[in-house]
Amino acid sequence: MSGQILEAVSIYLTPNIPIEPISQGAEAVVFTTSVHPYEPKQESSETSNKYILKYRPPKKYRHPSIDKALTKHRTLSESRILAKLSQLPGLNVPKLIACDVYNGCIWIEFLGEELPNGNGFSSLKNFLWMSASDPHNKCVETVLEKVGRQIGLLHWNEYCHGDLTTSNVVLQQSDGVWEPYLIDFGLGSATTFVEDKGVDLYVLERAVDSTHSRYAVTYNEWLMRGYKAVYHEQSKKGENRLREVLKRFEEVRLRGRKRSMIG
Amino acid sequence: MVNLNKVPPRHRKQYYLALGLEGSANKLGVGIIKHPLLPQHADSDLSHHCELQILANIRDTYVTPPGEGFLPRDTARHHRNWAVRLVKKALQEAGIKDPTDLDTICFTQGPGMGAPLHSVVVMARTLSLLWDVPLVGVNHCVGHIEMGREITKAENPVVLYVSGGNTQVIAYSENRYRIFGETLDIAIGNCLDRFARTLKIPNEPSPGYNIEQLALKCTNKDQLVELPYTVKGMDLSMSGILGYVDSLAKDLFNKNTKNKLLFDPQTGQQLVTVADLCYSLQENLFAMLVEITERAMAHVNSNQVLIVGGVGCNVRLQEMMASMCRDRSNGQVHATDERFCIDNGVMIAQAGLLQYRMGDAVQDIADTVVTQKFRTDEVYVAWRE
Amino acid sequence: MLSYSIPQFDSFDIHATLFTDVENMKALLAQVAVLPFAMIDASTILSLEQLFCAVYKALIESKYNRLRTKNLNSECILSLSPTSNIAEAFRRFGIKEDTKNIVCLMVVEKSEQNVLEGVFKEQIEGREEELSDENLKATVSWDAIKKVSENNL
Repeated sequence: MSGQILEAVSIYLTPNIPIEPISQGAEAVVFTTSVHPYEPKQESSETSNKYILKYRPPKKYRHPSIDKALTKHRTLSESRILAKLSQLPGLNVPKLIACDVYNGCIWIEFLGEELPNGNGFSSLKNFLWMSASDPHNKCVETVLEKVGRQIGLLHWNEYCHGDLTTSNVVLQQSDGVWEPYLIDFGLGSATTFVEDKGVDLYVLERAVDSTHSRYAVTYNEWLMRGYKAVYHEQSKKGENRLREVLKRFEEVRLRGRKRSMIG
Repeated sequence: MVNLNKVPPRHRKQYYLALGLEGSANKLGVGIIKHPLLPQHADSDLSHHCELQILANIRDTYVTPPGEGFLPRDTARHHRNWAVRLVKKALQEAGIKDPTDLDTICFTQGPGMGAPLHSVVVMARTLSLLWDVPLVGVNHCVGHIEMGREITKAENPVVLYVSGGNTQVIAYSENRYRIFGETLDIAIGNCLDRFARTLKIPNEPSPGYNIEQLALKCTNKDQLVELPYTVKGMDLSMSGILGYVDSLAKDLFNKNTKNKLLFDPQTGQQLVTVADLCYSLQENLFAMLVEITERAMAHVNSNQVLIVGGVGCNVRLQEMMASMCRDRSNGQVHATDERFCIDNGVMIAQAGLLQYRMGDAVQDIADTVVTQKFRTDEVYVAWRE
Repeated sequence: MLSYSIPQFDSFDIHATLFTDVENMKALLAQVAVLPFAMIDASTILSLEQLFCAVYKALIESKYNRLRTKNLNSECILSLSPTSNIAEAFRRFGIKEDTKNIVCLMVVEKSEQNVLEGVFKEQIEGREEELSDENLKATVSWDAIKKVSENNL
């Protein structure tokens, strides 16, 4: 990562908030920190807290006024989506803590944990890689079905993710059971278009194909089983809408063009 | 590893010769190139190091008066009128006395405007039958990419292809140039051309170039005229922007003082000039292009960008791309100048010759039908690993 | 009285407290504009987090010189509100004639260390209680929350 970006964030946050970079995308840099943005310090902090800070650095190539407007607009829209989604019953997304739209900062709840035996962070991607030696494990099947359900719920409520990959799903254990959370709604939107849902599903399918090629067929089947279940539970209206989405999904797949190389 | 010498040069030459014919839009281009036959090409991944020699690269552009675009019928007529003269001139420049020495005749099979494409393929078929030289049909976009790679030596770049008819972000994977993002409606060059038409500025040398020059004259760079910014994931849309900026220009010409963006509501004084509009339009459109390119780079983990296509000559676009790359580790921008950026015959010859060397020449003349729609990812790229 | 500062804005001190059974509401209402702190109707406050969050938002706005009200204290009241309408925010979260319990909130720059321990007490005739989630639970009104948050839960 460019040192300049790190420096800019550090200055912005003051030395009171130490940060640790964890990833850099085209648009944003993600950090973790142990300091809550606005709650008073817990002096007796026996539990170490962890938060995610997502920062959209200014882009020098574009005109400052375009840059400012975009950063503000996108930070705001991502925050709003997160806030709205966390109110939907049954949907697991990280909790929004704070945002500074003028500087492109979003604070969110940290999710996930380290997988056993050095298998890395508990993203769905790492989880599936970890389970590759025993891919037909009931546990994998359950997790993927639950992921499918999350996406189904998202779509049923007329939202789209825009960038579904197995790294954008994080697993967290609750009472010894893995629960999936959808993260990174940077390209997310509220949408009633069937097209967006079809593309969402297609993007996910391609992501599974390219990152988990050997078991992709089975994995996609389990994902879709969970996805469909959400619609099935909504009686006739659900069935009709499901049919539309699946039809469009098929069409998008046949078009076979969009973002056909998720890395 | 790839064997680029699968098909040896004809007549036991130690080199390949290819004639390229391009005419997918308002430019008729004829190019002749030479590739030496080199042992290292037999087993390597060097399709961007062909040691290309350009023997001829000539072009004639069908220019229309200010305020008018080029119509397919008239453009096709222009190409028919000039085809023979340009080919003769090219052969002469290249010093080729016996055209049967050519290994292949390459023509643009698409995408492009139907009638002009058709004029050119008729020429190509005729020459092929006349001289008994095999034909190769080339995808116009792949032509741009291969030309850019050979000239800049960029090995595996993310390609931003921006021209009058196309706007795509492309990256190579498993023998295809895959499209990551593209315009959902009109192409960038088309958007600029049509705005130039609204402004009634000359189409000579090109409308885009004249907009670029006008934008340089903008004196009010801090006060950008706000335009819609329409990036959708990795795709973009430009028709709305064009419609909006067009309406602003019309209000400006008609002195519509009710428009508060353009005229001071109290004094009626004009606040925005045509140059300001050009500047704002460029800043806005190019920011969108650079953004989707950066997205694609992050996706495929690449740090090189190659800009091809007519709009790729724009210095401001190149600057912005360079600025984006500076903020990425080891980022590099590759761009070419107008000789290769703008449609030309050499690029068709380059891509066509690579195809030919892999053994992919036309077997049956029935397979030379041109097509207006020909997606970049339909071509099987055999010459790369 | 609860006093703390926000890590990112440690040049500011934040003081807050809770008064119950306030008796001089009329007098306070007349002074809303001049008192050096914000008075919030405690029935609209559900938790400390809600307060802290509003303070943070106000400080962010002030960092970019984007305060929409005249000072940080009043900005905190605006920041509590889901709308950006200032009058509406004060109507919802500010004190009213029938307000019984008040949360007092003051954001000051550290250099102004002349904040008197009893600045709230001097003005407000009521019982000061510890500002805690527990005590807020006793003063919150769910009807009020529903009304001010525009939430149809």
